[in-house]
Amino acid sequence: MNAELNPVVGYVALILVSLSTVLIGIYGLRISRTTGDFYVASRTVRPWWNASAIGGEYLSAASFLGVAGLILLSGVDALWFPVGYTAGYLMLLLFVAAPLRRSGAYTIPDFAEARLESLMVRRVTSLLVVVVGWLYIVPQLHGAALTVQITTGLPPWVGAVAVVVVVCLSVVTGGMRSITFVQAFQYWLKLTALAVPIVFILLRLSSTGSPITDAGAVFAAELNIGGDASLYRNISLVIALLFGTLGLPHVLVRFYTNPDGASARRTTLIVLGLLSVFYLFPTMYGILGRIYTPDLAADGAADATVLLLPSRIFDGAVGDLLSALVTAGAFAAFLSTTSGLVVSLAGVVSQEFFQGSVKGFRRAAVISALIPLLLALATNTLALAGSVSMVFAFTASTICPLLLLGIWWRGLTDVGAVAGMLSGAVLCGGSILAAAALGPASARYEWLQQPALWTVPAAFAVTILVSRLTVSRTPGSVSRVLARLHTPEPVQRP
Amino acid sequence: MNPADDPPQRVRVTAPRSAGRPTPGSYPVAREMAEQSEVGELFVRSLIRSQLRLALVVAAGFLLILIGIPVLLAVFPQIGELSVFTVPVPWLLLGLGVYPLVISCAALYVRSASRNEMRFRDLIDEG
Repeated sequence: MNAELNPVVGYVALILVSLSTVLIGIYGLRISRTTGDFYVASRTVRPWWNASAIGGEYLSAASFLGVAGLILLSGVDALWFPVGYTAGYLMLLLFVAAPLRRSGAYTIPDFAEARLESLMVRRVTSLLVVVVGWLYIVPQLHGAALTVQITTGLPPWVGAVAVVVVVCLSVVTGGMRSITFVQAFQYWLKLTALAVPIVFILLRLSSTGSPITDAGAVFAAELNIGGDASLYRNISLVIALLFGTLGLPHVLVRFYTNPDGASARRTTLIVLGLLSVFYLFPTMYGILGRIYTPDLAADGAADATVLLLPSRIFDGAVGDLLSALVTAGAFAAFLSTTSGLVVSLAGVVSQEFFQGSVKGFRRAAVISALIPLLLALATNTLALAGSVSMVFAFTASTICPLLLLGIWWRGLTDVGAVAGMLSGAVLCGGSILAAAALGPASARYEWLQQPALWTVPAAFAVTILVSRLTVSRTPGSVSRVLARLHTPEPVQRP
Repeated sequence: MNPADDPPQRVRVTAPRSAGRPTPGSYPVAREMAEQSEVGELFVRSLIRSQLRLALVVAAGFLLILIGIPVLLAVFPQIGELSVFTVPVPWLLLGLGVYPLVISCAALYVRSASRNEMRFRDLIDEG
């Protein structure tokens, strides 16, 4: 695969995004002075800022590049991905947002320890959170590798290393407060980077009379590579995305920057609006890609659809400019999701091993970014949306039962929580590994490769069953903690 | 100079290891009620129940409609052949129609959840 674009365009876009990220990070340093600022932006970020930041952090490589790539490959079935990514936030709003904000805990392990009064639960949760975070960073770095290779022609590892370097710089200097600004900026950058080129493209196509939907032929299933997805696969995927979102470490940590539970709910509502608007655009790129970039599917580079579509329709300077914009947006996607994950992982790792000081936070941030870099360099690029859905399935089978039952069920015990998380991890992780080892020809491949439909209920069942068997271990503080999670904050009087 | 006049020892400030600790002064009424009176505990329990019921109802309604889409298309395949401005109906439903549904469910929930909390506050103020 050679560079199809003018390499200068790629360099300029990458350098601009990286520079602005680091600059906003440094600007943020001037106003982040206390440990509280560093960890949770002192919990005083306005809902619109916060919602933009959540959107900026959540819209990863899989959303920016992966959705369009998947539409190119599998047509209408791919639309379940953006639907699931968005609806995951609805579940988060319904079951988790306000109570978790009121818990006052900063990380999921903090919540687990406070709710169940058990160091063992904390350790197991920390371990799982770190594993989930690392696994989720790896596809971001793969996306960066692909983008750098396509836009500049440099070897793929440069992209992954560049993302890690920029993220480490901005996280280590600014902490959470400046990250909030960076993330909010990057949501709007990503939206602009997709919206402006598509407006130009649609205007150009309709003025020259070129096909946009080719009288509906673009939607035909005959254009798909590979067979239709089964009903099982679609449902299992949706379960994974719906219940995986509420366990992602970088998503949860964002809610602590709201001042109270009610504003956490308002923020989530705005996020749903922002995500809904955003996902219309990758969908359009995917549809147009089925006419103008079908060769990418055959090359195994479907994820590059968004990057290459503008240059296929415009030549010369306009094409270069639009390509630069899309490239910048893609890079913003890798940077923001990776830095969000690194911040939340650093929070967990530093409290576990470095007593939660600012210096420890910095050290932990570097560690949290370097290990997934090694993993990414050692593995091959998969289809982005597909590999991310496995992380969602794993989260839904491990962290989700702990959170949902911890928030809503008095009967949860520490032993039950640990048993549920470990069995979910073993079932889900084992089945995905088995699918990879056995290959698509094996019997029940879909059940192994997309296991959320059976591993999530299994993890819930184990958690409930073991909690029932260990009723004597129910913490004495359960009434007080649940009251705290669910009762509204008193009206602030000056 | 006696030892009591010594300046206080420097304290190293770090993030709380267990951030579950409440800040003093927050949530006094609700916590006191939950801990100290049976009536308070009853109020809190009924608040949790009504919030859970609300969340489950909204989630179930949303999931029913969402799963209804592929089921409907499987039962009536002729719907899949309809199209609006050359875009087939299944693409429209999944690519466009689901998002307003998500947002309306969310808005409905946010309003009702706040109302439940308001009712709880009123109960406590009366009590």
